[in-house]
Amino acid sequence: MDFELNPEQGALLDAAETLLRRSAGTARAEQLAALSDAGEQSADGYDHDLERVLNDAGFTGVALVDGMGPLEATLLTSAVARQAGCVSFGANAIVAAQLLGRTIDGPVALADTALPGPVRFAAQAVCLLVADGDQLRIIEPLATDLVDVDSNFGYPMATLPAELLAAGDIVEGVSAHRMRAWWQLAASAEAVGCMQAALSFTIEYLKNRRQFGRSIASFQAVQHRLANCAVMIESARWLCAETASRNAPGEAAAATATHTMEAATLLFDDTHQLSGAIGFTTEHALHHWTMRLQTLKLELGGAGAHARSLARLRWTDAED
Amino acid sequence: MEFAWSKEDQGFRKNLVAFLESELPDDWEEISREGPGSDAQAEFSLGFCAALAEHGWLTPHWPTEYGGNAATSWSHAVLGEELWSRGEPRGPQYMNVNWIGPTIMEHGSDEQKALHLPPISEGRVLWCQGFSEPEAGSDLVALRTSAIADGDDYIINGSKIWTSYANHADYCFLLVRSDPESSRHHGLSVILLPMDSEGIEIREIPSVVGKRYFHELFFTDVRVPRSCLLGEEGEGWKTVSYSLQYERVGAPRYARATVTLDRLAELARQKGLLDDPTVAEKLGRARAACEAARVLSYRVIDQRAHGLPPSPDTNVARIAGTRVDKLVGDLALELTGSSGLEAGTFANANFKLAMTAGVAVGATEVQLNLVASRMLGLPRE
Repeated sequence: MDFELNPEQGALLDAAETLLRRSAGTARAEQLAALSDAGEQSADGYDHDLERVLNDAGFTGVALVDGMGPLEATLLTSAVARQAGCVSFGANAIVAAQLLGRTIDGPVALADTALPGPVRFAAQAVCLLVADGDQLRIIEPLATDLVDVDSNFGYPMATLPAELLAAGDIVEGVSAHRMRAWWQLAASAEAVGCMQAALSFTIEYLKNRRQFGRSIASFQAVQHRLANCAVMIESARWLCAETASRNAPGEAAAATATHTMEAATLLFDDTHQLSGAIGFTTEHALHHWTMRLQTLKLELGGAGAHARSLARLRWTDAED
Repeated sequence: MEFAWSKEDQGFRKNLVAFLESELPDDWEEISREGPGSDAQAEFSLGFCAALAEHGWLTPHWPTEYGGNAATSWSHAVLGEELWSRGEPRGPQYMNVNWIGPTIMEHGSDEQKALHLPPISEGRVLWCQGFSEPEAGSDLVALRTSAIADGDDYIINGSKIWTSYANHADYCFLLVRSDPESSRHHGLSVILLPMDSEGIEIREIPSVVGKRYFHELFFTDVRVPRSCLLGEEGEGWKTVSYSLQYERVGAPRYARATVTLDRLAELARQKGLLDDPTVAEKLGRARAACEAARVLSYRVIDQRAHGLPPSPDTNVARIAGTRVDKLVGDLALELTGSSGLEAGTFANANFKLAMTAGVAVGATEVQLNLVASRMLGLPRE
């Protein structure tokens, strides 16, 4: 048991963070949004440039490198989310890498036939992984003319037609349950990054914002809410790391997702409530992380569904 | 970063579990439900801790010179998990081994170490903790109980409150004001008070939590030799801060909550409720909270294993541990129904345990204050 980063992990994260500060960040997210709003043809809200940079630097395939694994991919997924990177990093570096033993050269979308509705990156994806009951299917290459739904919840998303969800090749020897577990981990790791950034950003804002002649962050009513947020994030963060290092057993992944998505509800509500009206504006960067939390929370049915699957895995079904 | 138990720790857990299965009597669970302050549990702890000590498992994390095995922080955590999840058969002695002993090692004189550490490591002494006072609860440094030097002695006057185990304790780890002119953190001292000293009166405070749970201690001209002073006179706050860091994360509440939850799920199954999505969701959410509290406690243990100084992660872990106790305590009553209102039942005992979780050892709000200031760097004014 060792919670400290080893030197290789430390160096990996440092390198990724340096790259992300240069190639991602909220300024980049705003630039992407502006291009998309201006109707730029190639601008679909997805950061293809960032994806290329992450691929070229070897970060996307980190889990497949000797001596590294899903833990490193999980740490990087949170790092990308902290810098508001709009790429399918978790789906690729964690889910695809673990299920297929390779990463995809382009955006990856994840879907579950039992959960209709818009899917993150469906219109951009070159590879679609579908959980269909017990079976895992893959559609690759994926070429669609899907149009993103009108949504401002942080990611481009489109509704997959039923025939597409039913298509593709069965991935032999890999159960859909494994995909759901890795997906729970990937979504949680991404949510952790969003939550960390949202909380830090909110704390800085509240320290500087003065009302009643004092910093808002000095009020105990405010401090307790922020401290509770920190407790939830810390636990979500460590659960993600532990689950990843244990190769995402179903029960651990479900527990991680349940807790992380509960944390996401708290983080969204409290960071917005404490920020006041400015928190709802696009000029205030908070939304880059918080709106995404809502999308992540709904994947795989949300905290309630994660909790029910956790109960089933622990007390009814044996581990798959 | 890696999260697997070492072979040694796994082996230790296996041996410990086997020992507990043979050592704990059939009626242990009933005894445990009487609460940690009960006569039955205090008495049981003396026999049990002695047996644990014989195996070297009462104070394995202590240095060898004090009767320990210099075991890792992780094996200490295994011990805490296995014992707490079985209703803490060490009774009040968990305090002795977890923080009173270590504080004496750090701050005690050779004479004090020789007097106190052997009985603690052999499991044959009971302690209580004299911190809170009627006017000094969360604001501990408002305390007024005084110990005034008089020749070779101190004379103690005042009172302490909420003192668990006072009725059984041989000694009290007593925080006092030794400088009557001082205030707040200054001028405090720690006295290792023999409870058979003259002038101590113990009164039980009747409570809804359980019998003999809380006591008040009254000190009237209690005279003790100066050799009872732990550490430097006037430096008591430093001593106690050291203790509190050990105490606050001390009990692995998640371990007991985890076991309780498994039993509640079994109960739900017997009632045909386990497939009910509402019940399953509540159980699942509580289970996730157990895991969250567990991993946060592990984080603190990891810091200890690395020899890092105490950090606000201790408070973070404590807050999460409290939350899970509450969740599971409420769920125990909800799933059991009104039969859980009967004293001595499984649900009742767990609910009672959870009742005090957010107040004992420093209110949750105090823990949140510490996280706010020390972890998040939020300003005071």
